[in-house]
Amino acid sequence: MGKNQPGYFGEFGGRYAPEILTEALEELESTYQKLKKSKKFKKELEFYLSNYVGRPSPLTYAERLTKHWGGARIWLKREDLNHTGAHKINNAIGQALIAKFMGKKRIIAETGAGQHGLATATVGAMFGMETVVYMGAVDVERQNLNAKKIEMLGAKILPVTAGEATLKEATSEAMRDWALNVSTTHYIVGSAIGPHPFPTIVRDLQAVIGKEARSQFKKHNHKLPHAIVACVGGGSNAIGMFHAFLKDKNVAIYGAEAGGLGPKPGEHSATLTYGKTGFLHGTKTLIIQDEAGQIVPAHSVSAGLDYPGVGPEHAFLSQTKRVDYRMVTDEQALDCFLEVTRVEGIIPALETAHAFHVARDVAKDLGKKKDLIICLSGRGDKDVTEVLRLLGERSK
Amino acid sequence: MSKIKDLFESGKIKSAFIPYFTLGDPNYNDSIEFGKTILDNGADILELGIPFSDPVADGPVIQRAVARSLKNKFSFDEIFRVTKEIHEHKKDTPLVYLTYFNPIFHCGILKFLDQAKEAGVVGLVIPDLPFDTKESETLFQELRKRDMDLIHLVTPASTKKRIEALKKTSTGFIYYVTSFGVTGERREFSVDLQERIRFLKDTIQLPICAGFGISTPDQAGQISGYADGIIIGSAIQRIIEENGHDFPKAKQSLAEYIAKIRVAIP
Ligand SMILES: Cc1ncc(COP(=O)(O)O)c(C=O)c1O
Repeated sequence: MGKNQPGYFGEFGGRYAPEILTEALEELESTYQKLKKSKKFKKELEFYLSNYVGRPSPLTYAERLTKHWGGARIWLKREDLNHTGAHKINNAIGQALIAKFMGKKRIIAETGAGQHGLATATVGAMFGMETVVYMGAVDVERQNLNAKKIEMLGAKILPVTAGEATLKEATSEAMRDWALNVSTTHYIVGSAIGPHPFPTIVRDLQAVIGKEARSQFKKHNHKLPHAIVACVGGGSNAIGMFHAFLKDKNVAIYGAEAGGLGPKPGEHSATLTYGKTGFLHGTKTLIIQDEAGQIVPAHSVSAGLDYPGVGPEHAFLSQTKRVDYRMVTDEQALDCFLEVTRVEGIIPALETAHAFHVARDVAKDLGKKKDLIICLSGRGDKDVTEVLRLLGERSK
Repeated sequence: MSKIKDLFESGKIKSAFIPYFTLGDPNYNDSIEFGKTILDNGADILELGIPFSDPVADGPVIQRAVARSLKNKFSFDEIFRVTKEIHEHKKDTPLVYLTYFNPIFHCGILKFLDQAKEAGVVGLVIPDLPFDTKESETLFQELRKRDMDLIHLVTPASTKKRIEALKKTSTGFIYYVTSFGVTGERREFSVDLQERIRFLKDTIQLPICAGFGISTPDQAGQISGYADGIIIGSAIQRIIEENGHDFPKAKQSLAEYIAKIRVAIP
């Protein structure tokens, strides 16, 4: 597998995983190539997306927010209205179908905010598959509602206590489980990360977001939007939103990543701003690391953005400058969370609140009579307890 | 000729004993002493772990060792200093590094190799760098120039096609991963272990050393009956973990354990 082989985005991507996983990765790749062309698979996927997930998700014109911000017209791609409350279900359904096709009876997943764990537990219940979710012990606490839901759905949560006990450690642990059980188990990677073919599969399964948004907007306005914005953790909702627009040179694309508490190592998850090229969890990408190549723990107010790496395709899009990635601090995200909730009557996920902050700046810069779509990647029910706690701290 | 090839072709050993431990656990200076103790009690090749924050191919015991090591300030200067001292103690025993690719890449491949060689290291094991990557090819060529070896891992899941393909860029020995999953002590091994090793030997024409899960003298004795070497990591690391706070005791337990395994191997 060389630089120009599938699985690379420029110099990023590839397959840098332990040898024990190679067979499974090759099997996954060839199965996926077949399924991608199979009418039966497409039909089945479409069936579940429309009858179970609730697709297409609406594209909502945010009239109040538009007025409030006083700039470009704001449109929201409503992934928060999907079953389980976030974009993660698009990918979980697709990969569960692939797993079923490969004859795997057990599925595992890693989760940060719990949305991917919840989506995986949900499809596990629906398809009757044994499901195990790895979740950092810290995240089991901060996203307790999701952790409880996951268990209620019959999946097993295995809290990971190593390191910072968040998404990075949960991902490592899921990879180890997969290495042990690779013949019976499919690992449903939850973001556009990991060894090839995961970043491609996840992107393809999330691309429905941008495809729908593009045609919904076009149908309504007979043109394309001027800008689109999404938040970037591993980068799955963002790449799903961006993909259909990459070739539209007049559409400006923005990614919002977690600036956390500040610029010091350990205080943020701003991989695309501060990351350096490296190798983590099976892929070559930008990573927050120290001068000796040790991975630096990431921080974000939102558990779903708290990852020191990023999908390799984003690393590439940042290098080619097709996408403008900006940082949003914990405070800014929290403020936007409250603002959007009050003004528009929609409680966004803390992850998505990062995208709103970037969108507010972009909308002001664009000015009136321009259009901007935000990927509303998920709803914020899961974050209410954490937000109340943070507000309590703030008022002290 | 590489030092590892020398060793296997010398006829001096039937099956090599290859212990592993992580440098810096619990601190760098104790590592020097642990290394010397292991060498004195009978290692044919010594594998030194360079800690990496995210060791996805390692089980809990080695994960904890790495975490303890990284509580010390990690630097390549320290790694090379410690390695050099271990090497000086017994210059004939080949030293091999086991680490993940990110630290090597970050250090700079050429700089890393030159300094590793300087410190007495003659081979590398990198669990997350498959042979069919650009980086692995580069590394292989650079290692060849320096008479150093790139030791590939082969697993129970590796296909014949893949095994054929990695022949071209393999030297030293093959690290045969005896079981699915990650490093750690195990009670049983797959039934076809012996056949797999024989098949590998016939196909690759390199010594085949088995690792992942071996811990008892019995297992070592049995598997060394048909493998060209056995690699033990977690069991050694556990001794350091359990006694690391009591340095003399750790050293003594290590010495006893190494000696016990040594006599179990023909
Ligand atoms: C609502 C929501 N948005 C975004 C993310 C970030 O993930 P990604 O960057 O893969 O979309 C998460 C992750 O948990 C999430 O729950």
